[in-house]
Amino acid sequence: MNHQTLAAHEAVDLHEIVNFKTLCLAKSKLMQGLVFDEDLKKLMQKDVEQSIQSLKELQVIYQRAPFKASVPQSRPIPTIN
Amino acid sequence: MNNDYLDPINALNMPELADTTFAMDFLLRTKEGVRNLAVALTESSSPAVRALLREQLMQGIALHQEITELMIRKKWFHPYELREQYQLDQLSANNAIKIGQMDLFPDDTNRKGMFDRTPDEH
Repeated sequence: MNHQTLAAHEAVDLHEIVNFKTLCLAKSKLMQGLVFDEDLKKLMQKDVEQSIQSLKELQVIYQRAPFKASVPQSRPIPTIN
Repeated sequence: MNNDYLDPINALNMPELADTTFAMDFLLRTKEGVRNLAVALTESSSPAVRALLREQLMQGIALHQEITELMIRKKWFHPYELREQYQLDQLSANNAIKIGQMDLFPDDTNRKGMFDRTPDEH
């Protein structure tokens, strides 16, 4: 039962989870520059570190998605205006 | 508090209000994280996916507990004294409405043209 390629539903869920974790990482990092309270900032740092680790792990599994494609350096079609 | 964002009176006790808001956002994200992971776990079949989601779910539950305890300790969150929580909720809502009504970004903020070439390319 151990297929190399992910099942459809879990692969799309991974799309959701990867995006959510990406945003949480970005937001916690951003917020660290705004918060006043030191304890809160420390907890956000912990979140950032855990999120980086989690996101890397998710990215690896996400490579087994049936809709996998090669990842370009930057956005394929840059939006200028 | 008034609508003049330059008036120093508005800065009185602002750090506390700002931290309360940032912490609440953090709390809501940890809650959403736990819920999303739980749902995803119930929709995953590959062992490797389930193992990873389960691990991150446990981590998420622990982080949710930490932020909850921090907020209770700092009196930013009152799960037991709901009258205090009610006051905080309404106060934060009023504050957000006031900020929402301020004209904070009147000038042109479209800076896109500045990022489409390297400094030496003209």
